Amino acid sequence: MKSRLTVALAGNPNSGKTTIFNGLTGARQHVGNYPGVTVERKEGTLRYGDTEMTVVDLPGTYSLTAYSVEELVARNFIIEEKPDVVVDIIDASNLERNLYLAVQLMELGTPLVLCFNMSDMAAAKGLSFDQEKLSRFFGAPIVNTIGHKGEGLKELLARVEEVARRGVQGPVSEIGYGREIEAELKTLVRLLEEENQIPEGYSPRWLALKLLENDREVGALVSSPAIRAQVEKSAKRLRGILGEDPETAIAAGRYGFISGACQEAAVSSVESRHSYSDKIDSVVTNRVLGIPLFLALMFLVFHLTFTVGDPLMGLIETGFGWLGDVVGGLWPEGSGSLLRSLLVDGIIGGVGGVVVFLPNILLLFLAISILEDSGYMARAAFIMDRLMHRIGLHGKSFIPMLIGFGCTVPAIMATRTLENRRDRLTTMMVAPLMSCGARLPIYSLIIPAFFPGNWHAPLLWIIYVTGIVLAILAAKLLRSTVLKGESAPFVMELPPYRMPTLKGVLIHMWERAGIYLKKAGTVILGVSVLLWALTTFPRPSEADTARFDAAREEILAGGHAEEEELLEQVDFREAEAALRHSWAGRIGVMMEPVIRPMGFDWRIGTALIGAFAAKEVFVAQLGIVYSVGEADEDSDSLRDKLRENYSPLAALSIMLFNLVSAPCMATIAVTRRESNSWGWALLQLGGLTVLAWVVSTVVFQGGVLLNLGI
Amino acid sequence: MTVPLSASLEDYLEAIFHVIREKGEVRPGDIAERLGVSGASVTGALRSLAGRNLITYTPYGEIGLTSAGRSAAGDVVRRHEVLRDFFVKVLAVEQSHADQAACRMEHSVSRDILEKFVRFVEFIDLCPRGGKLWLEGFSRKCDYGRDHGQCETCVSEAMEKVRKTAVSKEEGKRMKLRDLKPGERGKVSSIGPGTPAVRRMVEMGVTRGTLVEVERVAPLGDPVEIKVMGYHLSLRRDEAEGIEVERI
Repeated sequence: MKSRLTVALAGNPNSGKTTIFNGLTGARQHVGNYPGVTVERKEGTLRYGDTEMTVVDLPGTYSLTAYSVEELVARNFIIEEKPDVVVDIIDASNLERNLYLAVQLMELGTPLVLCFNMSDMAAAKGLSFDQEKLSRFFGAPIVNTIGHKGEGLKELLARVEEVARRGVQGPVSEIGYGREIEAELKTLVRLLEEENQIPEGYSPRWLALKLLENDREVGALVSSPAIRAQVEKSAKRLRGILGEDPETAIAAGRYGFISGACQEAAVSSVESRHSYSDKIDSVVTNRVLGIPLFLALMFLVFHLTFTVGDPLMGLIETGFGWLGDVVGGLWPEGSGSLLRSLLVDGIIGGVGGVVVFLPNILLLFLAISILEDSGYMARAAFIMDRLMHRIGLHGKSFIPMLIGFGCTVPAIMATRTLENRRDRLTTMMVAPLMSCGARLPIYSLIIPAFFPGNWHAPLLWIIYVTGIVLAILAAKLLRSTVLKGESAPFVMELPPYRMPTLKGVLIHMWERAGIYLKKAGTVILGVSVLLWALTTFPRPSEADTARFDAAREEILAGGHAEEEELLEQVDFREAEAALRHSWAGRIGVMMEPVIRPMGFDWRIGTALIGAFAAKEVFVAQLGIVYSVGEADEDSDSLRDKLRENYSPLAALSIMLFNLVSAPCMATIAVTRRESNSWGWALLQLGGLTVLAWVVSTVVFQGGVLLNLGI
Repeated sequence: MTVPLSASLEDYLEAIFHVIREKGEVRPGDIAERLGVSGASVTGALRSLAGRNLITYTPYGEIGLTSAGRSAAGDVVRRHEVLRDFFVKVLAVEQSHADQAACRMEHSVSRDILEKFVRFVEFIDLCPRGGKLWLEGFSRKCDYGRDHGQCETCVSEAMEKVRKTAVSKEEGKRMKLRDLKPGERGKVSSIGPGTPAVRRMVEMGVTRGTLVEVERVAPLGDPVEIKVMGYHLSLRRDEAEGIEVERI
């Protein structure tokens, strides 16, 4: 008897698998990725008596084909890593469909325990089972559990240990697929054996079955041309006789076995046609009420995330400001210490910039977890699919896009609900075009500075709509070029509504927030320090410093009444000179030829470098380059300066550039993390920058040609 | 379609359609092998098809059918199948022989004639004076040259059938799943070629003989929500194209 066991949890989505996993392992979880794919791999450990069990939560799947990454990952894990026991979590209130996966696990010949979860719901629905009989059909013990109450977990572990000890027992019943298919299977098995084409760990019948099912992965395992030819011949023959594809007929065979087993062993006392879930649905997905309700719910999510989150963000900002002051206070006033600047402006500022989003992210994922766990998310996708499908996306893309109006970082993380990689990447790529909250200060600084009052609202609206239109166009472009291909079929279960559990929701929320902090945090911190260096080095020449010091002394000696004010002005001028002298300033100057066509000068260029750290920095940087000191979006002195230097047309161009270009480095870091590739992150950065340049240039040059706005 | 496709291009399109259906992907080699032509002519044909926007094709890249290409290929395949079925079922010609003949005829049959053809075959199937027995009578005549005057029994049998079908016509009605309205129920009667969406539906339990009920349609008109085996499944109408049901 091994004292260490590996137990894999398999099961349909919405079968309560995650609840069982959480119930078994509690907080001792580890989240990673399967090698090479962006499928989450969750692992946890627990002790049962003297046995240490490693529990692996396989991705939730309905089947084990090679058509989706999740299914392939689950299948390969079972075949290659040979867990000691596979536990199939089954929603007992929806037995037949859930048993489809069980049948496939049985066919794989893996040691199996069937866990009939939500047995309370099944009982409430009037379903009862002859478990002994079912257990014999599937050659596996059956355990009843109620996941959210933690009932039955002890017995589950006992059965797991028992099965691990005795292994697969006796002849498991074999599914008969009917005369024609069986004949072809027999031919294929014989051929496989003759040609010695059975890889280690595979059963010949299973291989033959998968070959007939036209399974690409398994097809690649078998190299013999004779077998390939036979498979083609068999498939063709079956298609002729049965009038449907062999894979369809085989699936029907499995369901035949299931319905046979259920007829013998399951009793349904009442047929509940209209459950509470149906009643909710008749309102929530109602033709008239569906969309308004959906929009209202989304508004609520928004409200929760950004209105409740904002004071918390303010608190964190204040906290980091205080920390910066304390650390800064360790040096004498006016000290030019590099270390102080690095600590205060680079590291504390940079880390603060990451952590400040945490309330938003936690709240947003709290809301999403509740919507997901309750079953509403599937309905939201159902309602919006028509619209999203038109622009080449999936119903589920809508939520991330909407969140993008708040903050792009959680929006990109919310794309995790999309299963199809192409759909997911497209959504990730275009989500930044939804004008995020951090861009708002830029608009609210610039619009009142240049445009008359009755223009304010329409202009803001135009900017937001421009973002949406560009996102639609970009999605279409991506779907017809680099991300060409069918979008995921919308064959999706609408699970019954359920009360989410607090534990489940919190674990769900924390998993995602933790990933954000850990992975995005490291990259963002690095870039913050780099940006700090760009705006700090090279340091102002001694001559310059001396010049400003002399100016200060002169003021002090003069004994002016507005001494304070004058001194402040000198400080601002010094900061401006230092910035211009720094790499950021030099790059701004160097960029001038490139940004000139958009109507920008080096000052805007320098501010844009800062804006790459985060868009809200743009306003503050403009404040520095225009020597008006601490600036925010309500700063009238900054508005005056801007009016002196730019035309309304250039102002529009500035806003458009900020709308379209990548919102912040956190976005790029999160895209890199979520797409698992620098390629996509850099494509996003490059694509958005180029698009922004083109849009701004076209608008500015077009305006100049038409003699507008000067 | 503006310019009609040449017969040989139609053959290529048909081959691509079949290979994708069987293997899931298609390489120029597969097409060459299937049609018994050289690689060079395959390349030429692929370029020409891509030029008409029927397939997506770049050298060494994946070959795929565009939606226009899929419907054009489906058209050819249908013509082929209608002709072949007529030869096999009505004229009792041997399968391979029927296939060959259908292959040659499919290019020249116009859409109009084809529609009539389909209707005629249906007519034979459904008309009480036609049907299986009638066809069997025809093949007996072919085989034995017999010409017996059993017409009276035949007519009375036919009348009996008329009465029966009149009843069953009320009950069962074949239609596409996508056309079923909310609240209507149907029994799945046939499942078309395995697109990824159809394959997924089958795995979710929409197999032949299963009862489905349309619960509701999304506010924007698509997708639809159906009930199958006691749970709710949503699907897009277009993706359920290949699934036929008998309305109950």
